Amino acid sequence: MTEPLLVLEDIRKNFGAIEALKGVSFSIGKGEVVALLGDNGAGKSTLVKIIAGGHEASSGRMLFEGREYRAKTPAEGKAMGIETVYQDLSLCTNVDVVSNFFMGREITRRVLGIPILDEKAMEREVAKALAEAGTRIPSLRVNVEHLSGGQRQAIELNRFVHWGGKLVLLDEPFAALGVEQTRRGLEMIRHVASQGIGVVIITHIMQQAFQVADRIVVIRQGVVAGDVPTHQTTPDAVIRMITGEALAGTGPAAAKR
Amino acid sequence: MTPRTRRGIEFVLDNLVWFMLLFVLIVFSTFVPNYFQLGIFANIIEASSVLGVLSIGLSLVIIAGHMDLSVESVAALSAMAVGILFCSAGIGIGVQLQPEWLAVPVSLLVAITVGGLVGLLNGFLIVRMKMNAFIITLASFIWVRGLVVAVSGGRSAQDLAPAIRWFGIQRVLGLPLTAWIAVSCFIVFSVLMAKTPYGRHLKMIGGNETATYRAGIRVARNLVIAFVLAGAIAGLAGWLLTVRTSGATANLGVGLLFNAFAAVVIGGVSLKGGVGSLPGVYAGVLLLSSINTAINLMGLPANFTQVIHGLLVLAAVMLDTLKQSVRRRLA
Ligand SMILES: Nc1ncnc2c1ncn2[C@@H]1O[C@H](COP(=O)(O)OP(=O)(O)O)[C@@H](O)[C@H]1O
Ligand SMILES: [Mg+2]
Repeated sequence: MTEPLLVLEDIRKNFGAIEALKGVSFSIGKGEVVALLGDNGAGKSTLVKIIAGGHEASSGRMLFEGREYRAKTPAEGKAMGIETVYQDLSLCTNVDVVSNFFMGREITRRVLGIPILDEKAMEREVAKALAEAGTRIPSLRVNVEHLSGGQRQAIELNRFVHWGGKLVLLDEPFAALGVEQTRRGLEMIRHVASQGIGVVIITHIMQQAFQVADRIVVIRQGVVAGDVPTHQTTPDAVIRMITGEALAGTGPAAAKR
Repeated sequence: MTPRTRRGIEFVLDNLVWFMLLFVLIVFSTFVPNYFQLGIFANIIEASSVLGVLSIGLSLVIIAGHMDLSVESVAALSAMAVGILFCSAGIGIGVQLQPEWLAVPVSLLVAITVGGLVGLLNGFLIVRMKMNAFIITLASFIWVRGLVVAVSGGRSAQDLAPAIRWFGIQRVLGLPLTAWIAVSCFIVFSVLMAKTPYGRHLKMIGGNETATYRAGIRVARNLVIAFVLAGAIAGLAGWLLTVRTSGATANLGVGLLFNAFAAVVIGGVSLKGGVGSLPGVYAGVLLLSSINTAINLMGLPANFTQVIHGLLVLAAVMLDTLKQSVRRRLA
């Protein structure tokens, strides 16, 4: 594996009495694509939110680029260079595509010392980013509420590609996409990783995981039930890890049970 | 549907309240004797200045997805503070400043600070302590008015310092300076809401707070500022109220809150947050004021005003629903 970008050590998370994560440890390298798999309710989204800063871990440690890392807010995670595409989309449907693309990072120019939105510059950038990704949206000035689920997801994907950063977390990013858009999305992920950015992608579709990931990490009932290089395993083996029929790979699952 | 007709429909929907205003003005000018005069139009703008300013603050908070029921009482408190300090009769203590014009900035500062402080308290309790906006600002609505009654002992202040009253008397292009203050407020805050990152963020927070939080926008800070602004603007409205009446009474501005809500809703601001613009709200304010003027001119009993305002709010809400369904069909 390449130099580790993010290391998770024994991450636990309780929601009241519910133990969503019971000690998760694994790491992500620079330019590495890790597919995070697991059944519904296994704790994948919770883990992603802890890395992104949406939740705080109840205990455990994270190292980002070798330094202790703990984000209290998504703003802190973002400041470190961690971009996230959440499972429930994070778009403001009451404003247009351009506003969403630049949410929180608007381009401004000063007029009499007051920051004024530079709509033209932002629109140009968005048009360029969408064109490069081959995403077609009728008008960048239309409110997102008028767009289809696929178009919305495409905006979020293009947004993370555009902003880049050091680590990208994708929670079921292709759920609303068609075949062609998904293919392009997977290409986008490989492209992003080739620039040395680490990628964590959660998906339910085995084929996607095998297509795009360097490594597969399986979470089952809040613990790592498998952590294997993609080329050393098979879809059937991974499915058995997800359902718990076999305790293949590494991870503390065997000890816990 | 061609993109062109679609854009046309969108334009009409976005500016519906302006078309309504135009329609109402034409109807009144045609059918109400003596309505069509420059003086009447000036009067409409003048009569709407306090309500207009108050509606701005309310709109900011509602667009951000919250609520502020306290603005009316806050305006009254600021008005009473200015009245007590700068009136020379009644309960006024008639503070004298040298030079005299200093009374203007000082009274403005007092009004805005009093309002801003109540807004800060509201914002702190609602945003930081995560209490319910409706309940907290309802409480403020009650205790702030109570404070006004208590400090005034139910009596009034009269004879405002001439330097301040000058703003209500001096006219530029047929409008008193107080009306120009209201118009400038609308311009300034329209720019803030439509052209600056802060305004954009407020609107997005009203649309999807989680998304803005995840995007790294400082949601809590922005919301507290919105409450402070709403309070401060209400303070300014109170100052205008003192200037208009040349004094302050304990029941000053009672009922303004409902008119402000009417104006905001008619102006196209959705109570669910994230939707609306300040120019629209100004049109809503002018619409209400035009109707009041017509009622006056026709010599109808003033009580009709309330009935009509109530019906207008109903109409506005129904219109909002209609607009949404048209929009859905456009999409
Ligand atoms: N905010 C929350 N409050 C309480 N329980 C939660 C919360 N978020 C997730 N959980 C619980 O944690 C577990 C893991 O959820 P999640 O991370 O969403 O799983 P996955 O994404 O793998 O489907 C589930 O049992 C879920 O009900
Ligand atoms: Mg999930």
